[in-house]
Amino acid sequence: MIGGGRSAALTIAVKDATETWRDGRFRWAAALLFVLLVAAVAGGVQYQHQIARQHADAQQAERDAWLGKGDMNPHAAAHYGAFVFKPVQPLSAIDPGLDPFLGVFVFLEAHKQQLARHRPIEDAAPTRRLGLLTPATAALVLIPLLVVSLTFSSFAGERDHGTLRPLLALGVSRGSLLAGKAIGALLPLFVVLIPAAIIGALFIYLNRPADPEAAIGRRALVLLAVYVAHAMVWTGLGLAVSARARSQSTSLVVLLALWFANAFVMPPVAMAIAKVVTPSPSAIEFAAAIDDEKATWPDWDRRVERVMERFLEGEFESTMAPANVEVVALIESEAEETALFDRHFAGLFDRYAAQARTYERAAIVSPTLAARTLSMTLAGTDDLHDRRFAAAAANYRSTMLATLNNELAKSGRLNSFDYVRGRDLWEQVPPFDYDVPGAAWALSERWVSVMVLTTWLAAVSVAAAWSVLSMRLE
Amino acid sequence: MLAFLARHEWRLLTADAVVRLVIVVFGAALAGASFLGVLRGAREQRTFEAFAARASQQRAQPSAVRADVFANDQGVLALLPPAPLGRLAVGQSDVYPSYIKITARHLDSLVTGDQIEHPLAVASGHFDAAFVILFLYPLLIFAVGFDLTATERDRGTLRMVLAQPVALGDIIAGKMIARWLLLAVPAVVIPMLFGVGTEPALLGVWMIAVLAYGLVWHGLALIVNARGWNAATNALVLAGIWLLFAVVGPATINLLITVVYPMPSRVEAAVQARAATQEATVQGSRQLGQFLQDHPTSANVGREGMRQFALLQAARDKQIADRLRAVESAFDVQLDRQQRLASWLGVLSPTMIAQQVLLECAGTSATRFHHFDRTAASFQRQWQAYFQPLVLDAATLTGAEIANAPTFTYSEPPVSDRVRRVVPAIAGMMLVGAALLFLGFRHYRGYAL
Repeated sequence: MIGGGRSAALTIAVKDATETWRDGRFRWAAALLFVLLVAAVAGGVQYQHQIARQHADAQQAERDAWLGKGDMNPHAAAHYGAFVFKPVQPLSAIDPGLDPFLGVFVFLEAHKQQLARHRPIEDAAPTRRLGLLTPATAALVLIPLLVVSLTFSSFAGERDHGTLRPLLALGVSRGSLLAGKAIGALLPLFVVLIPAAIIGALFIYLNRPADPEAAIGRRALVLLAVYVAHAMVWTGLGLAVSARARSQSTSLVVLLALWFANAFVMPPVAMAIAKVVTPSPSAIEFAAAIDDEKATWPDWDRRVERVMERFLEGEFESTMAPANVEVVALIESEAEETALFDRHFAGLFDRYAAQARTYERAAIVSPTLAARTLSMTLAGTDDLHDRRFAAAAANYRSTMLATLNNELAKSGRLNSFDYVRGRDLWEQVPPFDYDVPGAAWALSERWVSVMVLTTWLAAVSVAAAWSVLSMRLE
Repeated sequence: MLAFLARHEWRLLTADAVVRLVIVVFGAALAGASFLGVLRGAREQRTFEAFAARASQQRAQPSAVRADVFANDQGVLALLPPAPLGRLAVGQSDVYPSYIKITARHLDSLVTGDQIEHPLAVASGHFDAAFVILFLYPLLIFAVGFDLTATERDRGTLRMVLAQPVALGDIIAGKMIARWLLLAVPAVVIPMLFGVGTEPALLGVWMIAVLAYGLVWHGLALIVNARGWNAATNALVLAGIWLLFAVVGPATINLLITVVYPMPSRVEAAVQARAATQEATVQGSRQLGQFLQDHPTSANVGREGMRQFALLQAARDKQIADRLRAVESAFDVQLDRQQRLASWLGVLSPTMIAQQVLLECAGTSATRFHHFDRTAASFQRQWQAYFQPLVLDAATLTGAEIANAPTFTYSEPPVSDRVRRVVPAIAGMMLVGAALLFLGFRHYRGYAL
């Protein structure tokens, strides 16, 4: 029966897969994982759908309110402000990522700039901090565990039973033994994963956004590739440890410890390191830094006086009527405030970006961390995408304020505060539109994680091959 | 006899290399996590003291200042002192703010800030003592307890031991006591060393909660051992139980909560608030615009003009605030109901129960932050009552008026209240643990040698 390399590998694979499949414990675990995966996808899609609808409806209601607010002074309109709601990414059903920990809307108004407000986590019960079952957690936490249970005894088990030497004595090369064991472990896994992936894809397809520009197909495919690569890393790890371990129980203990460290210990520890390397301010320190700087500025009357002095010195063109000094002061103070907020927020986000970089680099010792980062990025629910959205919102704010302030300056009225405008001006402020960047941009921003995951895949393949070639037989 | 058996088992256990490794890992994790917590606590304390000092300095300033500038523009910060036991559990302190800016205006009282923190840090959780207790402690209980008698039975040594005048029940009890001590001692002692001198009563309750939580897991281990499987099967079954109760269970319950009991939408509430206040906002802005039209430059409105302006502004604020409050309180009622419904599902997992108890003891649960919110809100009403007449009068404050202004002091809710809140959960865990141990011992009577 056992002859050439390829057929020997296949025979081993089929034998192992059949044995696994006949094991009642495996079938229970596989069925449970399948149910959890489908439940996670269904729950995720349902929740995502509901949130996406709320945000779209709210954005429409907000636009109607903005247009229908009646006649008022353009600066009063700037104080009236605008709400911008964060568009929900279709793939957040697979990996909600940081969405529950980020604000869902930004209020844009004159003089002030804020972070997005109302993070869903604030309203959730505290137990929510223990984690949520999502397709991403199933893929990155539960599947590796199943892989561990399928691979820990691959070689160590044969050795414990004394069947490893006879097997090799039959003329099976170590290479085909490794191939057979790898395929034999992955086959039963795929029996669970392929149907689950198909059902998941179906759910996502049925729930696809109406916007045809939202190209989620490519992102979804790369996401799947990341999950498969991650499962393969764990397969390689399992086989390598199994080949080197003294006994199958040692192999199991080592692999479980690695799994626990990757899935539970690494994320908080990586973040703790990042915060030691780059400390970030607490809310009170951040707010105080802005207030302190603002406190050194001249007050409103002094500001108007100064503009008046400059006017008398002939700094402005003659078209500017003297009563417009307050508008000039307003526009100038607005610009200064915007610059102040921009600078402080940029400083904060630079720190956050540095923390995220440390976190990403910590993945060098943890393939699961790299896969987790990539998963969030491809789903469009990580901090990078949040920054893109925040930048778009800040941009929209300055467009809105510029439109309103320019109108005020152009009015040329004796007193610009009695100048009232209506719907035609409000319509000049376009509705907020945000386009999510493509998969290529996302991956290029996360090249470190891509490199780390690829390197891990290559390294565990080499390690597994080397371990099998050099393993003891008894 | 029992003490002798336990001592004997203790010697055997502590000679085992794997068990030694388990103890070292557990001790190092607890000490490391607690140490990080102490550093974090010290930083929070420094920030708190710096801002408290700033607040008293601000009050001491002798210069004449306009009432609206002092009471509204500058305002005052209501500061929440860091929870002394917060070093053991970060809890919700990375989500809820530890300060609220207080002004005399109606509107500002409705806006509280957020704690800012990298969203990745909030999402990843924290490596604190609570994390080690909730996840690692049960895993290690299983690691030292999966092979209570299986290997001894398979090798036949158990039969030999039982040929001596000892009962199987006593042997099991001895083994359980040794294993319990092995992990309970570091679990209690190490965080205690780092938490000493903070809040003794709550630290005590924390420890009892840790012991009760451990009892549940020891009970589960005993029941599985009593089934009579071999050691490898015991290990797999226990690993599955840990995964189910500590990881998959809470995650699935949380998924169930988001689908079955979704929290009311903040987005919808924001739209509703906008609609409810639209008219008042527009009308108020028009009145203020009219005022500014009558007083072309703000420099020369005079005190009477400023009084009028303050009155208009206060009237507008109050109108908007009243409507906003109606929307907000409807939202809060719904939120509270959903959270209470959702919390019932938590009883299905010991980890979820223990997490709530530990956070409550540490003072980093939502409860303490809500208490702070309420205290700050009542202080805001005092501040407003004191300053609003002065603001409406466009007055310039005297030093005495500033010195007599109300000051904010945070008072912790009575310890007895906090303890009372966690007693049912701790008692529940103890009962379940005791029941599991009882069942385990009973099953062991039918243990096939």
